[in-house]
Amino acid sequence: MKMPARPDIARLYDEHAQALFVFLLNLTRNEADTRDLLQEVFVKIARDAELLEGVREERAFLIRLAHNAAIDLMRRRGTRERTKEHFAGVVSPFATASDPDEKTFRRELAEALAELPEEQRAVAHLKLWGGLTFEAIAEALEIPPNTAASRYRYALDKLRERLRPLYEEMVLADGHRARKGRRQNDE
Amino acid sequence: MMNEENKQFEQRLSQQPVKEVPPVWRAEILAAARAAQPAPQVARVAKHSFLSTINAQLSAVLWPHPKAWAGLAAVWVGIIVLNVSTQDRAVPRMERAEPASPEMVVELRKQQKLYAELMGMNEPRVAERPKDVPGRPRTQRVEVLVG
Repeated sequence: MKMPARPDIARLYDEHAQALFVFLLNLTRNEADTRDLLQEVFVKIARDAELLEGVREERAFLIRLAHNAAIDLMRRRGTRERTKEHFAGVVSPFATASDPDEKTFRRELAEALAELPEEQRAVAHLKLWGGLTFEAIAEALEIPPNTAASRYRYALDKLRERLRPLYEEMVLADGHRARKGRRQNDE
Repeated sequence: MMNEENKQFEQRLSQQPVKEVPPVWRAEILAAARAAQPAPQVARVAKHSFLSTINAQLSAVLWPHPKAWAGLAAVWVGIIVLNVSTQDRAVPRMERAEPASPEMVVELRKQQKLYAELMGMNEPRVAERPKDVPGRPRTQRVEVLVG
């Protein structure tokens, strides 16, 4: 019997850990849980060499493992813990910004994402910050591509609605800055 | 117009930089993963250590008295050589035996004949089956037998 090749865990980590980290942080909103889940994924792959056999899209497959692990964790925790977590505030998956407007926008965006249902948040995250196609998202989350697309549309509508005042303000400010820059160049 | 706004909004969102995975996690997570890995090398190491243990134990037994073990081995070699050489001599000794005298030959033949007769008497006599005469009908064959 042919033994499956041992997966190169270090390579897998270097190529996918960053994407998995942000995805898990966006789902759990807790760094300790994110670390545990990330370790769980890599331990699982290390333990069972056959898992990656025949896998075409490593990223999608690893996201699937991470998503399933996160769902299991959230189910174990139950509604009580989730509510407590909501009141305790959210851990942002975004880097801190020095510009006050950007800082406010990122904080608002993190909160808006936290308010989305988990299935919409997962799709929105993978499309916007994971750079995955709907086909890859569908493969990762084990849903039809149409469902992935519709969940993304719902998520984006909610985010736009929630962030509209801030976003419009920022767009106006951007336009104002652009006009000012052009005028200075003309002078 | 709406699509353009949507695109711009999507672009704005996707441009937001995300947090970096803490660098210290790498070593910890990889160590945990490697510890969980069922490595075939471990089995190979175990096999090697088992063989080396046997080797070490045999060396420990043989090494203190190497001359005694060499002497024992020489004795065994001598025994084998002696055994082989005696087997080789047995055949020529038979070949060199003197030929039997004519009286002895006559006596031996008598004994053989007697033995053959005795054996022949003890054997049950089997009637010889009549041979079928080919080319004739069965009724004619009966006539031949009766006649």
